[in-house]
Amino acid sequence: MTNDIRVPDDLWEGDTVGVITAWLVSDGAEVAQGDLVAEVMVEKAQYEIEAPLSGKLTIAKEEDEVVEKGSVIATLES
Amino acid sequence: MTAVPPIDGNGLQRLSVEAGLAAEEARLEAICQGESQFELLAWQPLDRALVMPRRHERNEGFPEARQVLRKLGWPILFRATGGTPVPQCASVVNVALALRCRVGSSAAHLEWGYHRLGEPWCEWLASLGVEGADLGEAPGAYCDGRFNVRIGGRKLVGTAQRWRRVRGCRDMAMLVHGAMQVSGDPAELVGVVNAFQEAIDDPQRFLAASHVALTQALPGVDIGTALPDLLWRLANAP
Repeated sequence: MTNDIRVPDDLWEGDTVGVITAWLVSDGAEVAQGDLVAEVMVEKAQYEIEAPLSGKLTIAKEEDEVVEKGSVIATLES
Repeated sequence: MTAVPPIDGNGLQRLSVEAGLAAEEARLEAICQGESQFELLAWQPLDRALVMPRRHERNEGFPEARQVLRKLGWPILFRATGGTPVPQCASVVNVALALRCRVGSSAAHLEWGYHRLGEPWCEWLASLGVEGADLGEAPGAYCDGRFNVRIGGRKLVGTAQRWRRVRGCRDMAMLVHGAMQVSGDPAELVGVVNAFQEAIDDPQRFLAASHVALTQALPGVDIGTALPDLLWRLANAP
Protein backbone atom coordinates (compact mmCIF):
# COMPACT_ATOMS: atom_id res chain seq x y z
CA MET A 1 0.00 0.00 0.00
CA THR A 2 1.30 3.44 -0.96
CA ASN A 3 0.69 6.60 1.05
CA ASP A 4 1.67 10.18 0.29
CA ILE A 5 3.69 12.55 2.42
CA ARG A 6 2.38 16.03 1.75
CA VAL A 7 3.14 19.60 2.70
CA PRO A 8 0.36 20.57 5.13
CA ASP A 9 -2.35 22.55 3.36
CA ASP A 10 -3.39 24.52 6.43
CA LEU A 11 0.00 25.81 7.50
CA TRP A 12 -0.21 29.19 5.84
CA GLU A 13 -2.73 31.37 4.08
CA GLY A 14 -2.57 32.47 0.47
CA ASP A 15 -0.73 30.88 -2.42
CA THR A 16 2.87 31.50 -1.38
CA VAL A 17 5.11 28.62 -2.37
CA GLY A 18 7.72 26.94 -0.21
CA VAL A 19 10.92 25.03 -0.87
CA ILE A 20 12.29 21.72 0.35
CA THR A 21 15.33 22.79 2.35
CA ALA A 22 16.50 19.38 3.55
CA TRP A 23 15.78 15.70 3.40
CA LEU A 24 16.62 14.14 6.73
CA VAL A 25 16.47 10.59 5.33
CA SER A 26 17.74 9.05 2.10
CA ASP A 27 15.65 8.01 -0.85
CA GLY A 28 14.61 4.41 -0.28
CA ALA A 29 15.08 4.53 3.49
CA GLU A 30 12.81 2.61 5.83
CA VAL A 31 11.18 5.09 8.20
CA ALA A 32 8.93 4.70 11.22
CA GLN A 33 5.72 6.59 11.85
CA GLY A 34 6.57 9.95 13.37
CA ASP A 35 10.16 10.08 12.11
CA LEU A 36 11.24 13.49 10.87
CA VAL A 37 11.89 13.12 7.18
CA ALA A 38 12.14 16.59 5.65
CA GLU A 39 12.18 20.32 6.24
CA VAL A 40 10.22 22.84 4.22
CA MET A 41 10.74 26.59 4.27
CA VAL A 42 7.97 29.03 3.47
CA GLU A 43 7.68 32.68 4.49
CA LYS A 44 11.04 32.43 6.29
CA ALA A 45 9.63 29.64 8.46
CA GLN A 46 11.29 26.23 8.74
CA TYR A 47 8.72 23.48 9.17
CA GLU A 48 9.47 19.83 9.90
CA ILE A 49 7.63 17.12 8.01
CA GLU A 50 7.25 13.75 9.64
CA ALA A 51 6.31 10.33 8.31
CA PRO A 52 2.58 9.72 8.84
CA LEU A 53 3.14 5.96 8.68
CA SER A 54 5.99 3.47 8.66
CA GLY A 55 7.37 2.26 5.35
CA LYS A 56 9.91 2.63 2.58
CA LEU A 57 10.20 6.27 1.53
CA THR A 58 10.55 7.41 -2.06
CA ILE A 59 11.43 11.06 -2.54
CA ALA A 60 9.24 12.91 -5.05
CA LYS A 61 10.59 16.43 -4.56
CA GLU A 62 14.31 17.03 -4.27
CA GLU A 63 16.08 19.57 -2.07
CA ASP A 64 15.64 23.15 -3.31
CA GLU A 65 12.51 22.19 -5.31
CA VAL A 66 9.54 24.51 -4.98
CA VAL A 67 6.43 23.08 -3.30
CA GLU A 68 2.88 24.30 -2.87
CA LYS A 69 0.44 23.66 -0.05
CA GLY A 70 -0.67 20.05 -0.23
CA SER A 71 2.16 19.03 -2.57
CA VAL A 72 3.22 15.40 -2.45
CA ILE A 73 6.90 15.41 -1.54
CA ALA A 74 7.36 11.66 -1.04
CA THR A 75 5.52 8.37 -0.97
CA LEU A 76 5.64 5.62 1.61
CA GLU A 77 5.31 1.94 0.66
CA SER A 78 4.17 -0.13 3.59
CA MET B 1 -0.32 29.75 26.49
CA THR B 2 -0.21 29.62 30.26
CA ALA B 3 2.51 30.83 32.57
CA VAL B 4 4.11 34.18 31.93
CA PRO B 5 7.87 33.88 32.40
CA PRO B 6 9.67 35.97 35.00
CA ILE B 7 11.79 38.76 33.56
CA ASP B 8 14.92 39.51 35.57
CA GLY B 9 16.46 42.98 35.42
CA ASN B 10 15.97 44.34 31.95
CA GLY B 11 15.60 40.78 30.63
CA LEU B 12 18.49 41.07 28.19
CA GLN B 13 21.11 38.33 28.15
CA ARG B 14 24.50 39.02 26.61
CA LEU B 15 25.70 35.90 24.83
CA SER B 16 28.01 34.87 22.06
CA VAL B 17 26.10 34.44 18.81
CA GLU B 18 26.61 30.70 19.01
CA ALA B 19 25.30 30.58 22.58
CA GLY B 20 22.34 32.81 21.70
CA LEU B 21 21.29 30.55 18.84
CA ALA B 22 21.68 27.52 21.11
CA ALA B 23 19.60 29.19 23.81
CA GLU B 24 16.79 29.81 21.31
CA GLU B 25 16.90 26.17 20.25
CA ALA B 26 16.79 25.12 23.90
CA ARG B 27 13.63 27.19 24.42
CA LEU B 28 11.98 25.49 21.46
CA GLU B 29 13.14 22.09 22.69
CA ALA B 30 11.52 22.77 26.08
CA ILE B 31 8.21 23.28 24.26
CA CYS B 32 8.77 20.16 22.14
CA GLN B 33 9.44 18.06 25.22
CA GLY B 34 6.27 19.28 26.88
CA GLU B 35 8.27 20.93 29.67
CA SER B 36 6.89 24.38 28.94
CA GLN B 37 4.13 26.10 26.99
CA PHE B 38 5.72 29.52 26.74
CA GLU B 39 9.30 30.74 26.52
CA LEU B 40 10.68 34.21 25.94
CA LEU B 41 14.33 35.07 25.42
CA ALA B 42 16.04 38.38 24.71
CA TRP B 43 19.73 38.40 23.92
CA GLN B 44 22.40 40.66 22.53
CA PRO B 45 25.54 39.30 20.87
CA LEU B 46 28.90 39.66 22.59
CA ASP B 47 30.69 38.88 19.34
CA ARG B 48 29.69 38.87 15.70
CA ALA B 49 28.80 36.43 12.96
CA LEU B 50 26.89 36.21 9.71
CA VAL B 51 24.03 33.81 10.44
CA MET B 52 22.08 31.87 7.84
CA PRO B 53 20.09 28.65 7.37
CA ARG B 54 22.26 25.61 6.74
CA ARG B 55 20.96 25.13 3.21
CA HIS B 56 23.27 27.94 2.11
CA GLU B 57 26.13 25.53 2.72
CA ARG B 58 25.09 23.72 -0.47
CA ASN B 59 25.80 26.77 -2.64
CA GLU B 60 28.72 26.42 -4.98
CA GLY B 61 31.58 28.50 -3.66
CA PHE B 62 30.35 28.45 -0.07
CA PRO B 63 33.65 27.24 1.47
CA GLU B 64 35.54 30.04 -0.25
CA ALA B 65 32.91 32.61 0.75
CA ARG B 66 33.13 31.40 4.33
CA GLN B 67 36.88 32.02 4.29
CA VAL B 68 36.39 35.50 2.86
CA LEU B 69 33.88 36.42 5.56
CA ARG B 70 36.09 34.97 8.28
CA LYS B 71 38.97 37.15 7.10
CA LEU B 72 36.63 40.13 7.28
CA GLY B 73 35.90 39.21 10.89
CA TRP B 74 32.45 37.76 10.25
CA PRO B 75 32.48 33.99 10.79
CA ILE B 76 29.46 32.20 9.36
CA LEU B 77 27.11 30.34 11.70
CA PHE B 78 23.91 28.46 10.95
CA ARG B 79 20.49 28.99 12.48
CA ALA B 80 17.40 26.84 12.68
CA THR B 81 14.92 29.40 11.40
CA GLY B 82 14.30 30.25 7.77
CA GLY B 83 15.38 33.17 5.64
CA THR B 84 18.72 34.30 4.26
CA PRO B 85 21.98 35.71 5.73
CA VAL B 86 21.70 38.18 8.61
CA PRO B 87 24.59 39.83 10.48
CA GLN B 88 24.59 39.44 14.25
CA CYS B 89 26.69 41.78 16.40
CA ALA B 90 26.49 43.95 19.50
CA SER B 91 24.23 46.49 17.78
CA VAL B 92 21.48 43.87 17.40
CA VAL B 93 18.95 42.77 20.01
CA ASN B 94 17.23 39.44 19.44
CA VAL B 95 13.90 38.40 20.91
CA ALA B 96 12.65 34.84 20.55
CA LEU B 97 9.21 33.65 21.52
CA ALA B 98 8.40 29.94 21.72
CA LEU B 99 4.83 28.70 22.10
CA ARG B 100 2.84 25.50 22.01
CA CYS B 101 0.11 25.57 19.34
CA ARG B 102 -2.80 23.23 18.87
CA VAL B 103 -3.09 21.91 15.32
CA GLY B 104 -6.31 22.96 13.68
CA SER B 105 -6.59 26.13 15.73
CA SER B 106 -6.14 29.56 14.25
CA ALA B 107 -2.80 29.67 16.04
CA ALA B 108 -1.31 26.97 13.84
CA HIS B 109 -0.50 29.30 10.99
CA LEU B 110 2.71 31.00 10.02
CA GLU B 111 0.89 34.31 9.68
CA TRP B 112 -0.44 34.04 13.21
CA GLY B 113 3.06 33.51 14.52
CA TYR B 114 4.38 36.61 12.82
CA HIS B 115 1.51 38.74 14.07
CA ARG B 116 1.96 37.29 17.58
CA LEU B 117 5.50 38.69 17.62
CA GLY B 118 5.13 41.72 15.38
CA GLU B 119 1.99 43.42 16.65
CA PRO B 120 3.16 43.87 20.26
CA TRP B 121 6.46 45.07 18.81
CA CYS B 122 4.66 47.77 16.77
CA GLU B 123 2.61 48.75 19.82
CA TRP B 124 5.81 49.04 21.86
CA LEU B 125 7.32 51.33 19.23
CA ALA B 126 4.18 53.46 19.25
CA SER B 127 4.42 53.72 23.04
CA LEU B 128 7.95 55.07 22.60
CA GLY B 129 6.65 57.72 20.23
CA VAL B 130 7.43 56.08 16.88
CA GLU B 131 4.75 56.81 14.30
CA GLY B 132 3.93 54.49 11.42
CA ALA B 133 5.43 51.23 12.65
CA ASP B 134 3.87 48.29 10.85
CA LEU B 135 4.50 44.82 9.44
CA GLY B 136 5.43 44.34 5.82
CA GLU B 137 8.03 43.92 3.15
CA ALA B 138 11.03 46.17 2.78
CA PRO B 139 12.19 45.84 -0.82
CA GLY B 140 15.96 46.03 -1.04
CA ALA B 141 16.49 44.80 2.52
CA TYR B 142 18.53 41.69 3.24
CA CYS B 143 16.53 38.69 4.47
CA ASP B 144 13.33 40.44 3.44
CA GLY B 145 9.94 38.92 4.15
CA ARG B 146 6.29 39.89 4.45
CA PHE B 147 6.45 40.36 8.20
CA ASN B 148 9.33 42.67 9.01
CA VAL B 149 8.64 45.26 11.68
CA ARG B 150 9.05 48.46 9.69
CA ILE B 151 9.33 52.13 10.44
CA GLY B 152 8.33 54.26 7.48
CA GLY B 153 8.62 51.25 5.21
CA ARG B 154 12.21 50.53 6.31
CA LYS B 155 13.14 47.29 8.02
CA LEU B 156 13.79 47.58 11.74
CA VAL B 157 13.19 43.97 12.82
CA GLY B 158 13.72 40.89 10.71
CA THR B 159 11.51 37.95 11.67
CA ALA B 160 11.68 34.21 11.05
CA GLN B 161 10.22 31.01 12.46
CA ARG B 162 10.79 27.35 13.13
CA TRP B 163 8.02 24.81 13.73
CA ARG B 164 8.49 21.39 15.29
CA ARG B 165 6.18 18.69 16.58
CA VAL B 166 5.54 18.46 20.32
CA ARG B 167 6.69 15.05 21.49
CA GLY B 168 3.99 12.43 21.68
CA CYS B 169 1.05 14.47 20.42
CA ARG B 170 -0.28 16.44 17.47
CA ASP B 171 0.47 19.88 18.91
CA MET B 172 3.16 22.01 17.33
CA ALA B 173 5.94 24.05 18.89
CA MET B 174 6.60 27.40 17.26
CA LEU B 175 9.68 29.55 17.64
CA VAL B 176 9.34 33.04 16.21
CA HIS B 177 12.39 35.24 16.29
CA GLY B 178 12.97 38.95 15.77
CA ALA B 179 16.36 40.62 15.22
CA MET B 180 16.34 44.38 15.68
CA GLN B 181 19.24 46.67 14.83
CA VAL B 182 19.29 49.00 17.80
CA SER B 183 22.30 51.18 17.10
CA GLY B 184 24.95 51.87 14.49
CA ASP B 185 24.62 52.49 10.81
CA PRO B 186 22.60 49.91 8.85
CA ALA B 187 24.98 50.47 5.95
CA GLU B 188 27.70 48.58 7.84
CA LEU B 189 25.57 45.47 8.26
CA VAL B 190 24.24 45.69 4.71
CA GLY B 191 27.87 45.83 3.61
CA VAL B 192 28.59 42.55 5.38
CA VAL B 193 25.72 40.79 3.62
CA ASN B 194 26.74 42.27 0.30
CA ALA B 195 30.31 41.04 0.88
CA PHE B 196 28.88 37.54 1.24
CA GLN B 197 26.80 38.01 -1.90
CA GLU B 198 29.89 39.01 -3.81
CA ALA B 199 31.95 36.15 -2.37
CA ILE B 200 29.28 33.60 -3.29
CA ASP B 201 28.96 35.16 -6.76
CA ASP B 202 25.30 36.08 -6.28
CA PRO B 203 24.50 39.28 -8.18
CA GLN B 204 21.79 40.44 -5.76
CA ARG B 205 22.82 43.40 -3.62
CA PHE B 206 20.96 44.99 -0.72
CA LEU B 207 20.32 48.62 0.12
CA ALA B 208 21.11 50.45 3.34
CA ALA B 209 18.18 52.76 2.64
CA SER B 210 15.81 49.81 3.14
CA HIS B 211 16.93 49.42 6.77
CA VAL B 212 16.66 51.57 9.85
CA ALA B 213 18.23 51.29 13.30
CA LEU B 214 16.18 52.02 16.39
CA THR B 215 18.40 54.94 17.40
CA GLN B 216 17.81 56.56 14.01
CA ALA B 217 14.10 56.64 14.76
CA LEU B 218 14.55 57.31 18.48
CA PRO B 219 17.81 59.14 19.12
CA GLY B 220 18.99 58.60 22.66
CA VAL B 221 16.73 55.63 23.38
CA ASP B 222 18.11 53.37 26.11
CA ILE B 223 17.29 49.82 25.06
CA GLY B 224 18.04 48.54 28.56
CA THR B 225 15.31 50.77 29.94
CA ALA B 226 12.85 50.26 27.10
CA LEU B 227 13.20 46.51 26.60
CA PRO B 228 11.28 45.25 29.66
CA ASP B 229 8.09 46.83 28.31
CA LEU B 230 8.54 45.04 24.97
CA LEU B 231 9.02 41.76 26.78
CA TRP B 232 6.00 42.41 28.96
CA ARG B 233 3.88 43.11 25.88
CA LEU B 234 5.10 39.94 24.18
CA ALA B 235 4.44 37.88 27.28
CA ASN B 236 0.95 39.26 27.80
CA ALA B 237 -0.38 39.58 24.25
CA PRO B 238 -3.58 37.62 23.60
